[in-house]
Amino acid sequence: MDKEKRNQELIDKSKEVIKKAFEKHDPSKCAITWTGGKDSTSDLWIIRQVCVEENIPLPQVITIDEGDAFPEITDFLVTISKKWNIDLKWLCNFDVLTACLSHLGNIVQVNRLNKRNQEELKRIDFNEDSFTLEAESFAGNHLMKTVVLNQFIEESGIKLLFMALRRDEQAARKEDEYFTHKEGGHLMPEHDRVSPILHFTERDIWDNTHLHNLPYCSLYRIGYRSLGARSSSNPGDIEVPAWEQDLENVPERAGRRQDKEKVMDRLRKLGYM
Amino acid sequence: MKNIILLTIDTLRKDVLGIYQNKEDLTSFLNSLVDHALIFTRFQSSGPYTQASFPGILTSSYYLEYGKPKKLSPKRMLISEVLQKNNITTAAFHSNPYLSDFFGWNRAWDIFYDSMQDEVSDLIPYVTGDQVNRKVQSWLEQYVQSGNQRHFFLWTHYMDVHEPYIPKKEYLQAVDPSISISEQEMFDLFKNTLLKRDITDAKKVNLLRNLYRAGVRETDEYVKELFKILKENNILENSIIIITTDHGDEFAEHQGLSHDGKFYAELIDSPCLIIDFDRKKKEICQKLVSNIDISPTILHLFNLSPEDKFEGQSLLPVDQYQEKGAFGEAIGKKGNHEKPTDLPVYYYRKDNMKIIYFQDGERWEIYDLEKDPEEKSNIIDSHPRADELKEKLLPRINRWENRQ
Repeated sequence: MDKEKRNQELIDKSKEVIKKAFEKHDPSKCAITWTGGKDSTSDLWIIRQVCVEENIPLPQVITIDEGDAFPEITDFLVTISKKWNIDLKWLCNFDVLTACLSHLGNIVQVNRLNKRNQEELKRIDFNEDSFTLEAESFAGNHLMKTVVLNQFIEESGIKLLFMALRRDEQAARKEDEYFTHKEGGHLMPEHDRVSPILHFTERDIWDNTHLHNLPYCSLYRIGYRSLGARSSSNPGDIEVPAWEQDLENVPERAGRRQDKEKVMDRLRKLGYM
Repeated sequence: MKNIILLTIDTLRKDVLGIYQNKEDLTSFLNSLVDHALIFTRFQSSGPYTQASFPGILTSSYYLEYGKPKKLSPKRMLISEVLQKNNITTAAFHSNPYLSDFFGWNRAWDIFYDSMQDEVSDLIPYVTGDQVNRKVQSWLEQYVQSGNQRHFFLWTHYMDVHEPYIPKKEYLQAVDPSISISEQEMFDLFKNTLLKRDITDAKKVNLLRNLYRAGVRETDEYVKELFKILKENNILENSIIIITTDHGDEFAEHQGLSHDGKFYAELIDSPCLIIDFDRKKKEICQKLVSNIDISPTILHLFNLSPEDKFEGQSLLPVDQYQEKGAFGEAIGKKGNHEKPTDLPVYYYRKDNMKIIYFQDGERWEIYDLEKDPEEKSNIIDSHPRADELKEKLLPRINRWENRQ
């Protein structure tokens, strides 16, 4: 099958999923996550198309600043949101950043945090007096990422989050996982999540990007394939643009440090930490 | 020569299996394999929890042998490393964080799935057996389709028996229809009773035991499903399947819950079956063997010569197996977390005599397993062979000093 035809089919499938999402929830109760990475940029681009075609207002677009973003990503988000006329909402836990003087690797004294952040730490059974703010720290990750997102969902009454997960990105994603329901509970407000580009492969994303002249962050051009926090992402083949690398045989996240946080989180839930 | 499949079921007590005389019918599928099974009745785990036991299974070495780095020491030789060097395809599918890529267990596997990139529920922090099976299935189908002529070693590990003891409803129903409990209540029981090692309420301990038994029933289904997948791909008859566990679980037998740093039967008397469909009649081996013998057995089955770094010996052929007694070592943790202040525990078993040494308080215990299978009465002061048993264990306890 030629590239264009396959691309159109993939997009059509995504559009179907997006329409289904809007049938389930009013656009004012939806939000789109946009990291500035290649996947969420394609995702956003397709959602915008559906909104134009169906005369639906574009839901709120959000991005989380974890305090460790590449400046290239920040520039990209600023430039493209202007170009695409998007009122991008930046979510950030400023209280934590203030407590560590906006410097990653600094120690955060828990008693210097505001009440809400202190309570959040108690909720996750974190009882130390301080922690180091870094991508791998449990407490830091929770406050910088999870708490700000949950707070946003709660305060804005969000019922559905658009995500940009891809099935091939990780060794195992179940079939038919376009929609997942997050039960409200201890650490999370109840909401649905949808990943309209779940069926795209990494190659499909690059094809989509090039076929439609979508913008992408300059880091991909110098060899990054997957962009996470600055301290945990490394380029794959240096100087070789991401789309020219061996996408089929080298894992996309090879340049990302093995996600210690996930392992630690599981151990913690089992009571091992 | 056949393919080898190692199926390890985390936290599986020997005494819940019908093959080992349990009458509760928790493992009807596993029971149905009996005629094709070589059954080891005195198989010992070298450690009472995952980190302490798995070096025994996959590297044929003891837990404290290379110091205690958090990650798998590069000095240990994984069975996958030996096999890959010998052109055998190696595949691993599991969901135990302690055996993940992050902790260094991903060496020399052609495919290594540890589920750490996957989403799990908040209550059960691992992927369930059916999800592991699906991974195995898609790999196996690909393997068969590719016409690969190489033999493979497949290691599959299920977590479903392991706490937090949140089995699926239908299996709990099957174990005891009178129990009505929500998943959140099960989780609270895990958090408030099990994690606190609170055994004061016998009813709660009994409920935990029933949830555990339901998990065993559930896992038996996953084993059945795995065998179905093997059969559908015409792999079953061409494979030898070793089924074992890393350790057992405690329900107040020795004043504790879960699996802490102890060496009593409920934690280290483990099941071990070798299934081969060319075998038409069950065989029982009563020799005292250890999980450090698993990796040497796998080499033997692939007609490969023994590996110098392996401390165990092949379980096969059984008549040539030389009983040397079983050792084990762990950290005497109390609670799920190994604290830096926790001290080592060592054990040695010869025939029916077991000696245990707790470095904390320099305590010794000896049990006569024939007269006292429940290990209730410590006979360290009265046993005539106490010194002889101590002599056996002391070189292991002191091996650090000698090396420095």
